[in-house]
Amino acid sequence: MAEVIITGQMKLFDIINTEKRAMVLFPRFGIELGVGDMTVSGICKQKGIDLQFFLLMVNTFLNQGYFPDRKLKNVDVDMLLGYLAESHNYYLEEKIPYLQTLIGTFKKSVGHPAVLQLEKFFDQYIIEVKEHLAYEDETAFPYIAMISSFRKKTDSPAGPIDYSVEVFEERHNNIEEKLSDLKNLLIKYFPPAGDRYIRIKLLNELIDFEEDLVNHARIEDKVLIPVVRQLEQQVGLL
Amino acid sequence: MGKTLIIAEQSEVIRKGLIQIIGSFDLFDRIHEVSCNSNLESGIIRIDPEVLIINPLLIQPGLKEWITGFKNGKIKVAAIVYSLFDDEVIELFDEVIRIGDTTLKIKNKLSKLTTSPHGRKTLNNDSTLSSREKDVVRLLAKGLSNKEISEKLFISPHTTITHRKNITRKLNIKSVAGLIVYALINDIVSVDEMQEE
Repeated sequence: MAEVIITGQMKLFDIINTEKRAMVLFPRFGIELGVGDMTVSGICKQKGIDLQFFLLMVNTFLNQGYFPDRKLKNVDVDMLLGYLAESHNYYLEEKIPYLQTLIGTFKKSVGHPAVLQLEKFFDQYIIEVKEHLAYEDETAFPYIAMISSFRKKTDSPAGPIDYSVEVFEERHNNIEEKLSDLKNLLIKYFPPAGDRYIRIKLLNELIDFEEDLVNHARIEDKVLIPVVRQLEQQVGLL
Repeated sequence: MGKTLIIAEQSEVIRKGLIQIIGSFDLFDRIHEVSCNSNLESGIIRIDPEVLIINPLLIQPGLKEWITGFKNGKIKVAAIVYSLFDDEVIELFDEVIRIGDTTLKIKNKLSKLTTSPHGRKTLNNDSTLSSREKDVVRLLAKGLSNKEISEKLFISPHTTITHRKNITRKLNIKSVAGLIVYALINDIVSVDEMQEE
């Protein structure tokens, strides 16, 4: 598939028609649809969103090969943290509960004891995802917000800081692996369900979640980590 | 390791003719010939060939049981056919060589037999687990570690790891939790067995 680079002149309408995956990002910026022929730069101005930041997020999310090195200097860390926290909210409040509902329906629809184990497997996975997100929300992100405030001179170090983005990088394991197992079990091995469409619905959602997590991790690896490393140097932590 | 063929056929003309033709193919390192069924079985056991070409007349009656016995082993069995047989008989064989086949056709048929199920192809495509791999999955599902599995199956830890890699490659399932679900779906382990441990 050819990669599309989203620009400020594009209409939201055209973006969704060419890349429906971008749709999921709009709510994370507080953008709602129903805005006619509004362009990206128009809606960003209206909502007070930094256009360059929006484009960076959308394009990194959509394109695996998008290397934003040049643009990293101007990234506002607080915006980035806001965006990532919004994504986490979406996973926790929307995506995971919906997947759990679908698994529940699938479970009722398949009369095989293995389905109980599948549910257990998924529940265990959800715990891992939640731990992963909680670690970022409660440990990594507050640290980053803190050094960002040092940089903006709204605050200053009160004592030695026992953390760095390096620790975050080391702990940044991938949480998609089990999701891929789950997907493959459903595609390759699960016996037929009474409800013929439930498996497809579930697969669609799993594939979507998997893709979202991969893209999300890419933003953390390619944008967040380099930006924070820069910050650490600027405030003299390294 | 060299590949071995046994040709079991009463007619000397046909037997020698087949040896002559097949000998020119570079498919087998050794070709043995058998002319009657009295020493056929002991010969097969002793020589343990990759492929057996046999005239179905040599093993009637009891052909079906006889062939099935060999299919459970690794020996591929081809019929050499120049009289009339029921389709039911012909279908028992992995391949059929007919008296009217050209040299090229015989070569193609035999190449297929010597490369199919335990050749290179299977390594890449076959997603069914070997019985040993199933043992490993069963023990994993019961919650055993790699080390415990090695001890239980009397294999080295290295072999266990190789089995696990192959299982993951064949099934596209990486996590133990995922393998447990697979094992339950395929009756490799039962819910009761899992609770025992």
